[in-house]
Amino acid sequence: MSHEYVPEIATDRNGKKHEVQGWQGDTYGGKLGFWLFMLTEIMMFGALFLTLTYYYSLHHQDFIEASSHLNRLLGGTNTVVLLVSALTMGLGLLKMRAGDVKGAKLMIYATIILAFIFLGIKAVEWTEEYNHGVFLGLDALQSGNEHSRPFGQILFYGMYFTMTGLHGVHIIIGIGLMVWLLKRINAGKVTTEHNILHFNIALYWDLVHLIWVFVFPYYYMIGAGHGH
Amino acid sequence: MDINTYKAQRAGYYKVLGGLLLLTAITFIQPHMFLQNATFGVQLMIGAVKAWLIVMYYMHMKGETLIGWTVVFAMTLVAFFFIVVMVDVDHFQNMEGSHITSQPHIEVDYGHHTASHEE
Amino acid sequence: MSKSYLEAGETHCAIGHPKSVFWQWMLTVDHKRIGLMYAAVIFTFFFVAVFVALTMRIELFAPGAQILDGDTFNQAFTLHGVIMVFLFIIPGVPAVFGNIVMPLMIGAKDVSFPRLNWFTFWLYIFGALIALSSLWTGEGFADTGWTFYAPYSLNTNTNVVTTLVAAFVLGMASILTGLNFLVTIHRLRAPGMDFFKMPLFVWGIYATAWIQLLATPVVGITLILAILEKVFGIGIFDPSKGGDPVLFEHLFWIYSHPAVYLMILPAFGIMSEIIPVFSRREIFGYRTIALSSASIAGIGYLVWGHHLFTSGMSDLAKTVFSFLTFFVAIPTGIKFYDWVATMYKGQIHMNAPMLWALGTMVTFVIGGLTGVTIAMVGADIHLQDTYYSVAHFHYAMLGGVVFLLFAGLHYWFPLMFGRIYSEKHAKRAFYFNFIGFNMLWFPMFIAGYQGMPRRYFDYLPEFQIYHQISFFGALVFITGLIYMFTVLISAIKKGEKVGSNHWNATTLEWHLPTSPPPLENHSKVPYVDFRPYEYHHGEPVVKFNLETMQRID
Repeated sequence: MSHEYVPEIATDRNGKKHEVQGWQGDTYGGKLGFWLFMLTEIMMFGALFLTLTYYYSLHHQDFIEASSHLNRLLGGTNTVVLLVSALTMGLGLLKMRAGDVKGAKLMIYATIILAFIFLGIKAVEWTEEYNHGVFLGLDALQSGNEHSRPFGQILFYGMYFTMTGLHGVHIIIGIGLMVWLLKRINAGKVTTEHNILHFNIALYWDLVHLIWVFVFPYYYMIGAGHGH
Repeated sequence: MDINTYKAQRAGYYKVLGGLLLLTAITFIQPHMFLQNATFGVQLMIGAVKAWLIVMYYMHMKGETLIGWTVVFAMTLVAFFFIVVMVDVDHFQNMEGSHITSQPHIEVDYGHHTASHEE
Repeated sequence: MSKSYLEAGETHCAIGHPKSVFWQWMLTVDHKRIGLMYAAVIFTFFFVAVFVALTMRIELFAPGAQILDGDTFNQAFTLHGVIMVFLFIIPGVPAVFGNIVMPLMIGAKDVSFPRLNWFTFWLYIFGALIALSSLWTGEGFADTGWTFYAPYSLNTNTNVVTTLVAAFVLGMASILTGLNFLVTIHRLRAPGMDFFKMPLFVWGIYATAWIQLLATPVVGITLILAILEKVFGIGIFDPSKGGDPVLFEHLFWIYSHPAVYLMILPAFGIMSEIIPVFSRREIFGYRTIALSSASIAGIGYLVWGHHLFTSGMSDLAKTVFSFLTFFVAIPTGIKFYDWVATMYKGQIHMNAPMLWALGTMVTFVIGGLTGVTIAMVGADIHLQDTYYSVAHFHYAMLGGVVFLLFAGLHYWFPLMFGRIYSEKHAKRAFYFNFIGFNMLWFPMFIAGYQGMPRRYFDYLPEFQIYHQISFFGALVFITGLIYMFTVLISAIKKGEKVGSNHWNATTLEWHLPTSPPPLENHSKVPYVDFRPYEYHHGEPVVKFNLETMQRID
């Protein structure tokens, strides 16, 4: 910081002094602001789940059938990968606050690696689906041709690629944020005393995990008991 | 923070991890073992419990008042949208005479209609 | 020595310390400068959309094609709607007065995230450029109406995807503005100013910010889904794949209905500021007005289905939405009664801001009551998508939101520029606007009732008389608009200079040491132990020493 911020003091009619909250150095404000941003993500993914539920209720059997064909091994592995990455991110913040900056950075690196593993597994899954002819733009998901799936399956896969795709975009953004966080730590802007940025990015990563907590059972598990 | 607070909080994180892993395991077993005809509800319920653990502990919501209420407000809105749209669907799309199909109809019957729509 | 924010130099910039005045403005993070820049841009877009509308009015003067063909006409009403809704009225009052005035009213030095504020302004410009670029590429501007209903929006070859992307970017700007204002109002109020000591304009901005934050993401994702539908054919709005166009309407209106409350709540906040000042009395029912803003924001999320009465919903849903729509009118009615009660036995000063405020009371009441008419499902079956709806929402949005935006321009003009405009000319411009507005829109209620459909390029001869009256009304109204803006713009440089509390008002934005305000806002943040509208025998109770910001009453 080039100039230190000194909070202003306001004096009331009795001479009592009150500290003025400025926009600089407002840690709680930074936290509140980021939570409010995450509420927008809740609204967005909420609307997506609403769309999904709408079509699930109209095409119950098709949804279960399509779900049973998804790769639960890969999806499940990803679930555990993301779960562990939420732990590493949280531990990183804890270490930063306890003064172990080196340990914090190691944890961030670990989270980044796990995030890449998640994306890699997702890529394998999508490739597998593409090889089965099930992908956006391919015949199976268009209507009126000989490979067309029933409506419910087209809608299921349309939403599947949309939601896992958007989730993947959020993972990529998360990786970018973590790389930026590492740079800020190295520049001395994120420290044991001032780490609201680290806190917010950890919150973001927890949100990404939270979305997957609902995406995974809704897509992969509803058709699980139906033997495929 | 001092070393004891650090150790206590770290222990807390690992406990939550344990809970989440256990719930994930249940997620995998459930469709083959119990309540199979309620899979959808059970899966989402497990998801909700996991979400609650994550929000309360990993996201440090326990102890926040204002932020907690804003999250409740947002989720109540989403719940309202869900309830209204799904009840509407139930009373409209899913009723007798509704035309929900699973394949497109290819009807060729141009004789009896008055106006046809040109693209 | 503080220079005014209009002249101050290289401080408060997002990147570096630029030496040129141009870059000092382009990179400024100061909320007052950002608000002024928003004002310049949004009013430019306003006039573009007004002239598109005039072109449509000329075309509609007589049945048949005169200067436009049907496809171009569709693009015209889409362009008019997209500009007016996304580029003008939704940013509108929050972007201009929320930025300039709100921090001053709470005694803050700026918003909570000034650099985010700067970024948001340029995000808005970026979105606007994307939208306007589609005029000159491909098949031209979208022709779907600003509501982009499926399945037509999926099938048309005009630049729908570009407009959807633009609307998404603009939505992000709206969300970030709301977020910034929410944190600002929660964190940066002067010591002693609890929520029930905030001016009512701040309450309006607060309620609006909640809508900006929570409703906009829903339309954001809807637009993304529509883009994915067009580009990848995911099927969710396409009936040929089992998708449901009515779902698009639900998702779209889940945002777009709260959006109209997002428009009117800050405007009502302006009304709540003007009425006490020009009645020289404390506002009647402060707490009720404050809570009504909050409840309009809340209940407004629950009524979107009234846009779908004729689209395909269950009778149960129609009934519930109709009931809730009637219900949401109540808090608005309460505000109107409180404002009238404030004026009762006050000393009314009919300056230009008050004239605009009173004019709005007439036009918004018409707009609001005609909304209640079409909230009745039975009536709506006949009136939906006719000129009745069009007249209703123009009376509410133009005669409500925009008129109050104009009132705010006249009220806060001395604050923004340290000068005053010609009162005589400002009042004359008001009358041109008011008379022209009513001549333009009132006949449409009748035309709509008789069955004239909206968005129609051609019509039966029996409707012609209404279109002709509307056309002349449009000419008078546009004259009034140009007159009004000429009066205001010429006063920026040539108006008589005035002090920092020209209207002798009570709220904190009028207690600044210089006129126009210094870059740093108040000399010192005051301690707020007073209500926002305390008058005694027509004089403000609270007086300040403007250098120390200590009370001297």
